[in-house]
Order: sequence, then C-alpha cells, then structure tokens
Amino acid sequence: MRISLSIIVTLFCGGLCFSQTGSIQGKVTNARSGEVLPGAFVMIAGSSNVNYKVSTDPSGLYIFPQLPLGDYSLTVEFVGYASVTRKIRLKDKEMLKVNIGMEEKSQELESVSVFGKISQEEDQGARQKEKRANNLVNVISARAMERSPDINAANVLQRMSGLTIDRNGGGDEAYAIIRGLDPRYNNTLINGIKIASPDEKSRYVPLSIVPSDLLGSIEVHKSLLPEMEGDAIGGTVNMVMKDAPEKKIIRVLGSIGYNKIFFDRKFDHFSTADIRQKSLIESYGPAYTATPGDFSRSNLDFKLTTPIPNGIVGITLGQRFLNNKLGVMVAENFQNQYYGSNSVFNQAAPDIHKNQPGLSDYANRQFSTQQLNNGIVLHLDYNFNSRNKIVFTNVFLYSYLAQSRIIVDTAIIGGNGGRTVPGTGPVTTDYTSVTSHQYVQNAKLEGKHILSEHFLFDWTGVFSYAAKRTPDQADLALNKKIDTVHTTSDINGPYRFVTTPNYFDVIDRIWQHNEDKDYDALANLTYKARFSRHAILEIKAGGLYRHKVRFNKQDTYNLLPSTSSSGIKQIFYNINSAQWTVYNSHGTYDYDKNNYRLFEDVTAEFGQIKISFPSLDIFGGVRQEHTSQGFTLNTFYPTGINGLTKDYSDLLPSAMIKYKLSDKTNLRASYFKSISRPNYYELVPAPIVSVSNATTTNGNPNLVHSVADNFDLRYEYFPREEEQLLAGVFYKSIQNPIEYAYISGTTYQPQNFGTATVYGLELAFTRYFGKIGVTGNYTYLNSSISSNKSYTDYSYNPPRPVPDTLQKRPMQGQTDHTLNVSLLYRDEKKAMYAQLAFQYIGRSLALVYPLYGYDYYQQPQSLLAFSAEKGLPNRHFTVFTKFNNLLNTASQNKINSLLVVSEITKFNFSVGIRYSN
Amino acid sequence: MKTTKFYLLAAGLAALFASCSKSSEKTTIITPTVPASNPIAPGNISGFVKGTLTTGNTYTITADLTVKAGDTLASQQGVTVIVSNNAQINIQGVLLLVGTQTQPVSFNSSSNMPGSWGGFQCDSAQSVTIKWAHVDNTGGPDPSGSPRKTVFVAAPINVDIEDSWFTNGQDDLIRLQKGAHVTILRNTILCSGSTDGEAINLKSGVTGDVAYNVVYSQAGTGVKLETNALQPFPQTIVNVYNNTLVSNGWRRGQAEPGRGVSVGVNAIGNIYNNIIVDNYQGIEIFADADTTNTKYGYNLFYASQDTYTDTTQGASLSISIRGNFYPSDGVGKPQSTDLISNAVGNQDPKFKSFDGKVATPNGAVTSNDFHLLSGSPAIGKGNSQYNSDMGAYTSDGKGNKH
Repeated sequence: MRISLSIIVTLFCGGLCFSQTGSIQGKVTNARSGEVLPGAFVMIAGSSNVNYKVSTDPSGLYIFPQLPLGDYSLTVEFVGYASVTRKIRLKDKEMLKVNIGMEEKSQELESVSVFGKISQEEDQGARQKEKRANNLVNVISARAMERSPDINAANVLQRMSGLTIDRNGGGDEAYAIIRGLDPRYNNTLINGIKIASPDEKSRYVPLSIVPSDLLGSIEVHKSLLPEMEGDAIGGTVNMVMKDAPEKKIIRVLGSIGYNKIFFDRKFDHFSTADIRQKSLIESYGPAYTATPGDFSRSNLDFKLTTPIPNGIVGITLGQRFLNNKLGVMVAENFQNQYYGSNSVFNQAAPDIHKNQPGLSDYANRQFSTQQLNNGIVLHLDYNFNSRNKIVFTNVFLYSYLAQSRIIVDTAIIGGNGGRTVPGTGPVTTDYTSVTSHQYVQNAKLEGKHILSEHFLFDWTGVFSYAAKRTPDQADLALNKKIDTVHTTSDINGPYRFVTTPNYFDVIDRIWQHNEDKDYDALANLTYKARFSRHAILEIKAGGLYRHKVRFNKQDTYNLLPSTSSSGIKQIFYNINSAQWTVYNSHGTYDYDKNNYRLFEDVTAEFGQIKISFPSLDIFGGVRQEHTSQGFTLNTFYPTGINGLTKDYSDLLPSAMIKYKLSDKTNLRASYFKSISRPNYYELVPAPIVSVSNATTTNGNPNLVHSVADNFDLRYEYFPREEEQLLAGVFYKSIQNPIEYAYISGTTYQPQNFGTATVYGLELAFTRYFGKIGVTGNYTYLNSSISSNKSYTDYSYNPPRPVPDTLQKRPMQGQTDHTLNVSLLYRDEKKAMYAQLAFQYIGRSLALVYPLYGYDYYQQPQSLLAFSAEKGLPNRHFTVFTKFNNLLNTASQNKINSLLVVSEITKFNFSVGIRYSN
Repeated sequence: MKTTKFYLLAAGLAALFASCSKSSEKTTIITPTVPASNPIAPGNISGFVKGTLTTGNTYTITADLTVKAGDTLASQQGVTVIVSNNAQINIQGVLLLVGTQTQPVSFNSSSNMPGSWGGFQCDSAQSVTIKWAHVDNTGGPDPSGSPRKTVFVAAPINVDIEDSWFTNGQDDLIRLQKGAHVTILRNTILCSGSTDGEAINLKSGVTGDVAYNVVYSQAGTGVKLETNALQPFPQTIVNVYNNTLVSNGWRRGQAEPGRGVSVGVNAIGNIYNNIIVDNYQGIEIFADADTTNTKYGYNLFYASQDTYTDTTQGASLSISIRGNFYPSDGVGKPQSTDLISNAVGNQDPKFKSFDGKVATPNGAVTSNDFHLLSGSPAIGKGNSQYNSDMGAYTSDGKGNKH
C-alpha cells in the first residue's frame, strides 16, 4: 500500500502539469511460474533528469504516470532473480504496458549471500516463506496483523493454524499451545533466538506483553531443523521484529477503545502510591523487626471508579543512511488497557455418598485489571560491502499490571460448617491488590561474512535479561457466617437468615522478585555449491552455547488482627480502622523455599545437509544438545532437598523431503526428534499457590525431561498470490511427558507420565473471489495418556477408597477441534479492508480430577471479532476499528455436567488512526 | 529398652494395687536398672540429636533440633527442657517422652510467652509417645510464616499422648492426620490458641480414642473430627468420651465459633459422656459428617450464664450459650440420654471450683478445678459402655489424674 500511495501522489502532482506526458505500467512476474512478484524494485531512467524508483504492489503491479515523452531504460530488480533491463520509447498520451518476467538466478541458489530475504511483513512474503522453507512453517505478516482485530502477539497467534492460547483466569497470562500441546512443549524466540522469561515459574514469555505493532511477522515452525534449538515438540514461535526498510518510512498510530464490562460495572481501583517496592528485609537488612506501621493501607482500600479509555500509541521510523550502508529502524508501541472479568469459581469435592464430585465451595470473583505494555525495538544494520554485514537488534519490553481481585467464597461443605440450606454457610471475602512489573531486554549482535563464493560464516552474540517484580501483593481476608434462625418454635417451620459481623481474619503481604540472565553465543558455517548438473548442495554446521542464571526471591508477612481484652478476634469495619499485629515480624526471606538460584547451561552442535534437485529437496542432519541444569535453595534444610544438578545429552536427528510436484505445489514429509525441559520451578520442591485455579503446585526434583519422535506429512498448494491451501497430518510419540498429577487436598505436582501419543490433522486455506476473501484453518487433534485415578467402593461400610485405577485421557490442554474462519473484504482502490473473524475452540482437559471418570474440561468456545480500515483520500491516513469478543463468550470449566468455572470478560472495541508516509 | 522398663514398672504397680485390694500377700517385682541408651549430656543441644535425655537434668535447645528417621529421642522422668530462639523439634524417627506423675517431663520456652517455641513437628515420624509431660507456650509462626502446631503428625503411625499438660500454646495443639492411630487420654489443655486453633484436631483417616481430657479456653474447638473435603476417604473414626470441655471457641468470633466437639466432612464420631460447659457451641454434628455412623448421647450441657455479651471493637453481640448446645446450623439433636441444662443452676455439673469466666485471652492465668463435687448430676449418668460417670474425672479412678 505504501507503494501505491507514492504513485497516487505522483499522479496527483502530474495532473496539475499540462505538459505532454505518457505513462508506463505493468506487472512483474516469475517468468517460469507466472507467480507475481510484489516488492520488486522498478527503476526508470531517461533523458531530462527523470530517475524514478518504485516497487511493485501486492499484485505485482507498478506504474509510472505522467512521464515526459522520450526514451527510457526500465530496470527491475528482485532478490533471487536476475535483474532485467528494457529500453522503451514513450509516445504522446501513450499508456505503455510493460510486463516483465524474471528468471530466478541459479547463481543465487548455488552461492552464499548475506542479503536477500523477501519481506515477510507483507502477506506475499509470508506465503513465500511458507513455500520455500526447508521445514513446516506457518507465517503471519505484519500487514495481516495490522488489519486483524488483534493488538498483541497472543491475539494474533490464536488465528494461526494449529494454535490456541492458554489463558489463565483474568486473561493476563497468555502462552501458545501448538498442535494441542501445552506451552511447555513449545519455545518462544525473538528474531530466531531464545529469550529469557520474566515469568517466576516457567521458561516461556507471556505473549500478551508483546505489542503486535512491533512485529514484522510471526513464524510458527512445526518441524525442527538441526540448526534450530531442539526443545520444541509442539513447535517454535518466532516473533520476527520489524526490520530496516529499503526506503524511509514514518508510521504513527493511535487508537482508543473501551471494554464493555466497565459500562456494566465499576472498576475496583486501589492506590499504588504507598506500595513499598522493596520488602522490609531488602530495605533494612535481615535483623529488621517489622512493625504494624510498616504495612500500607491504601493498597487495600478499594474504590469504585470508571476507567479512562484504553489507548494505544505507536511510532515506527526507518531509514537508510551512508549510501544505504546503514539501516536504522526504531519502533515504539505503548498500550494502556483496562479489562476485567466476572466469574463464578466453584470448587469441586467428591460426594461422600457416591462416586461423583459435588461442590465444596461456591465463589464469585470480580477482577479489575490495568495493563500497560511498552515495547521498543531498535534495529541497526551495516553493510560493509556485498560480502560482510552486521546487524544489531535490541528489543525491550515492559509490562505493568495492576489488578484487584475480590473473591467471595461460601463453603458448602467443610470450612467450619458448610451450608445447611441455600443462602447459608461460612463466607470468606478476599480482597487482593497486586501490581507487577515485567521486563524483557534482549540485545543481539550478529554478523554474516562471505569467506569465498561458496562459504558463509555467521555468528551471533546475545544478552537477554528478564525480570518480574511483584512488590507487596496484599491480600485481606474477612470471614462471616450466614445462618438461619427459626421464627417459630417449629424446627421445620419458617426461618430467617442471620448474618454475623464480618471478622478480620488475616492479611498476607508478599514481595516477589525474579531475574533471569541469558548469555548466548552461536556460530555457523555454510557451504553451498552446484553438486551436479541438476543438483545443488548445501552443508551447514554450527554450535550454540548458552549460560543461564536465575534467582527467585520471596518475602512474606502475615498480619493478624489485634484482639480485645477477652482475646476475641476483631470485627472488620474498614481497612483504615483495622488494627493488626505482625505475626512473623522477620518475614520469610531467609527461609522461603521460593528463594532459590538456578542455572542452565546448554551446549549444542549440529550438522545438516540439503540437496536440491529441480523437483526434490532432500534434507537431513543431526543436532546434539547437552544440558546441565540445577538449583540451590538459599536456605539450608537439614533434612530436605537443598538443591540438585542434572546433566543430560540428547542426539536429535532430523530428516525432510520436499517433493515439488509443480511450481505451485509441494509435498513434504519430515521426521525429527526433539525434547522439552521441565520448567525451572517444577524441580524446586516448594509450594506455589495459583490464584487462577485455586490450586497449589509442589515441585518435583525427580522430574526428567521429555523426548519426542515427530512425524509430519504436508501438502501445499499456492495457486495465486496470497492464496494457499495447506493440508497435513502428524504423529508424535512423547516419552516422559510432564503433566500435573493430583497428590492431596488441592495440591498438584508435575510428574512424568509414561508415553503419550498425539496425532492430528491440519488444514489451512486462503482464497479470494474478487474483493471478497475467505481464509481459515482447521485442526483436529487426538492425544492419549494414562493416569492413576481412584474411586470409592461403597459396598463396604465404611466405604473404602480404591486407588490406582488407570484411566486413559487426553493430554492436559489439548483441544480436539479448532476452527478459524475469516471473511475478508478488500478494495485496494478505495483502500478499504474489513475482516470478520470467527473462532471455534473445542473442549480441552483443564485439570485432572482425582476421581475415576471425572476431569475438569474447558468447554468449547465460539468467538467473533471484527476489524475494518479505510484509507483517507490523502492516502497518508487510515482510520481503523477493532472489535473483540463480540459474542461476550464465557470461558467455562466443567466436570462432566458440573459447572465449576464460568468467566465473562465481555466485548471490547477500539478506533484509531494510522499515518504512513 | 526403656519402654520395657516402664511397662514392667506400670504392670508391677497395677499388680501391686490389685493385690493390695484383694489379699494381704505382698509381692515386690524387681526390675533391672537398664542404663539409658545414648545418654545426652545436659546443657545446650541442637541440630541432629538422638539418644536419651536423662533424669533430673536440664537441657537448653538453642536452635532447631532434628531426630532423623531411624533415630530415637527419649526422655526419662524429671527432665526439664528450655527452648530458646523460637526453635522447634523435628521428629522423623521416634519420640518417646515418658515422665511420671511425681516426676513429669517439662518443655517450655525461655521467654515463657505463648507462641514462643515450635513444639514437636512429627510430620513423618515413626512413632510418637508423650506421657506425663508439660508442654507450654508452643506455637507461633515458623520461619515460613505458617502457624505451628504443638504436636503435628501426618503419617499412619501410633500416637500416644497421655496424662500430659498443654498450656498457653497457639494454633492447633494436637493436630494429627493422614491415618495416624491415636490414644489421647487424660490430658489437660489450657488457654491455648490465639484467635484460631483447635485443642485436638483429628483429620483425614485418623482412628482411635480421645478420652478423659480437660480442654479449657481453647480459641477454637475442643475436639474436632473431620476429613478433607477433597479427600473424604479414608474416614476419620474416633471415640470421644468422658472429656470435660469448658469455655472453648470464643476467640475466633461469631463467624467461626468454636465447639466443644465437632464432627464434619465424612468423619465418624462416637461422642459420649462429655461435660460441655460455656462453650460457644456445644456438640456440632455438621450436615457433611458421616451422620449415619456418628453416634452420640449421655453428654451433659451446662451454661453458667444465660447469654454472653461480646463487646469486642465496640460491637455488642449477645450470644445465647444455651441455644447453642446443639447449634442450629448442625444436624445434631438433643438425645434423651443427655443432661441438658434449661436454666442457670439446672444440671450444674458442680465443678470443684470454676470462676465462670466465658471468654479469656490466650495465656490467661486460671485456677479452675473440674473435679466433680459429690452430688454432681454427672455421676452415675454416663454410658457404662465407656464409663458410668460423665466428664474427665470419674469416680472409678480411670479418669484424669491431674
């Protein structure tokens, strides 16, 4: 579109001049396949100082309007193709049509190059990448993201084939599920390099903190090459940041929006002014004795407010300097969003009279969240000459979250009494305020050097830093009890409800902080040459070394109500009059098992070979990964586990065949072996309480890493520009998959589960009918795994539990059917685009329930989103709008028919304007 | 070795009494003097310890003390242990504290304040025996900020706690779970729990007997039986009889009243012959208990005043003690064998001395004596399957010896 804009400008200007002119236009295509080549450079030079340069639009078209008459030389250049020059004579009022067919340079294929990537920021580039890649890749371009209803990487990814997003309650953490496999089986890269995670538990990066406007494209690799890191069984998400452009770009965007939930209710706001950023021990040293006055009240003083509109501001600047040798690109994106959820969150417990679960608690939750994301990408590249190039990329992401959680929980059984008749029971009201700061900083320096015609050496050095600070997460618990009192002497007669006062139960204050540092060094050597008359050989070998360190710190204080002279607990009126004592005045900093340091060193070497025949690519190689990892708790435990180290090596072969049935059609078959390492905290035997599903997880030092054999078959058809049809099947066998097993109470533990098998079917297509297009994908998945369940034998009195009954079930998080269908409308002349996106996500296993035959299932969801944009007449400005969750779809969890969770987030919308030079 | 000696001694004494009452023949059992295994030298101890605390000596625990699996920590009679620095005792092996009526064992903190040392954390112990021991001022937070129980067991082992005193502790005093088999007899638990905590809290699959205990002024419940709502099997099955439960359950407030005895979440209790006076609530059989198999009766309920007015924090809450003998939110109903007071003075159990204080703080000084005066309605009205008297102090001498 950028291209056509400049043409129109020229047109407009030309219309004002009354000299004799003509125009030259045409289409640039691949001479052999007829495929159009968008983004090709078309230069025209002639007498009277005419010297213009344009690039072809998405349809491969170019136009030079209003040219003075005369002789011209027209040159077309495109990466990977031999340049073409034509001599042209333009006559008066002529509209000369010059179509150019370009030949692929065989030279390009048999020798190494430091340049030459088709921009994946356009859809056509994305399709090219999918078609030409050695492995199975799905790519979504910046342009497609811009026009979609999505504002962050998590939203975008869920529209890709075989992907769903794992969102825990509140929607503030989002990780990719590729082909139905839990986020643990996937890895996340930025520009091809693994990045440190700011999450206190896992090794993955929350995708919701990555603004989609910073992205040039997202690639999802579903099969691995030896040159890629081997710890992805489901696949690899590579977020490719925007790259320096060939010509100057200035893009600015701004939008505002709102979430419907705050039309319907207020936002629970708390003041962050008095939050201590450091815990008392961090501030004053380990000998400090905390006093009641050390703990602020204002962050537990909740007020109802109406949030300001959501806003997004983005700016992208790019230009080349020093005779095009230096490329600079800076992109900044700032998002401030307010969202919330209203949910029912019940807890299930086994019915004591029959083998089925009932509810032990009935809870209502109201979350109000402000999330502020800021991302800055800086890209510098310097081309010394055609043989040497260095690139520096820095990605900085900051995400701030302020969330209030109000949970009202009524115990139906247990909890000091439970419920007698509907409306009664012990009621706990929990107010939590939490703020967190997440930082991801990733600096990468890489170089490419042509050593000789056939040898390319490339190297990369990366420093990656990630941190999360959660200062003073404050949680106030109150309790009361609702009972009935009979209004007559008849004990079966009428009654009324009586409610006790609300008592001040406890306040917890938690300071949590974790920090990751990764140091990476990579080097590869590529050899490329003609092997025989029809075959080209490419050999690549290289290695990686990564040293990671992480620490995790936690300091917790409990505040108990002061008591009266008779020792009775305090009635709660409001936070400002509540009186407390500090129960553990020295905090837990010196003791907490969540205080640990860990390291992970990975060394990898690989060798791979590719032989390309005109209709067949054969690819094979092997990668060796050696992992050395471990943790040490900060405190010595005389009788427990104080730390561990693990060492393991994996030999990961990979083989692929791409059979090019025609220029538009590929048939691929691939095999690769890959691994998945346990999440860091999963080895640490400390309890972590999850707010999102009210469970506790306890690490397991005996976990081993998972290893998988992966088989894929895919048919690809690229009929026309931007169109595609991909159909594939796959099979995976995973040894020692890690799943959460129930141990007791509400506690779960990660464990290895024998061998799991996964198979599935994928289908993706894009088809245009004039201005209307349809794009979509469908994935079917099936996985199976066995786990131990128990049931109760009621033929005994008292009944006896029967443990260890094997039950077959799908893997946790695996969805059966996923369908995305989008209806696209585009009118390039009017610069009008619209997209209506429908998504169906089938049911998936959310959590394993200990009783035989019962598990928590996330229920199927149907979601609808809409987006549209329209270029304004001056062609520099575009107005756009995005609507998400138009159907107000609820997220529900059920155990068979028992409703456990139902969460409503409601729809949100935004309108904005974009400027592009 | 030591156990054998004491059993022999006990058996000998029993035989002596028996013989005395029957005839004039005098038998003297002579037991060998077996030296203590691994005697521990008096003074400061901490870290990994095994062996025997020997009679008459004073020990100071200066930091957390751990008894490894396979090791035993034993105490002879008349040992005094002072715990400083908020330390706790972790038992993974065997705990065997055996005092005598005349020479009890004593564990207390150096500060003598409630919640100032960590008690016996026997989560994964092999066996726990505490007889004739004073255990005072336990509880408070552990270094992770969690409240500490005084005696905590979470393993299917034998736990014998007999004839001991637990005074001014915090949180749960005796908390046993995960299938422990318990014998809790003739103990006195006083003024414990700050604003929470049960005196005897038996959970998930515990079986055994709780009898002849006195529990006075506990923050929460005197004897609580339950399983876990999420893990209702195996069931907790306990006989709770002949306990005297007075003035318990007030400090947690109205929203979480404490009870004399409660049976919840799939637990089975046999609740007989208890004297229940001035508790916030008397006997609570929750609807989620195993109400089919829970049996109760022959309990005495008394209120020394009609209502108690709680004036905490400016509120004025009037609570009818008598109305809460069988609280309305439970399914327990008065039994014909029960003795239920209908007015002050009616069915008064006639304690030897009772100041009538309803709510008192954790650690309050008390001098009540819950022996029964002659003429007490509790005498001879018990379920003779357990004892023909009610309460902890019975006329047959089987009851509490404090």
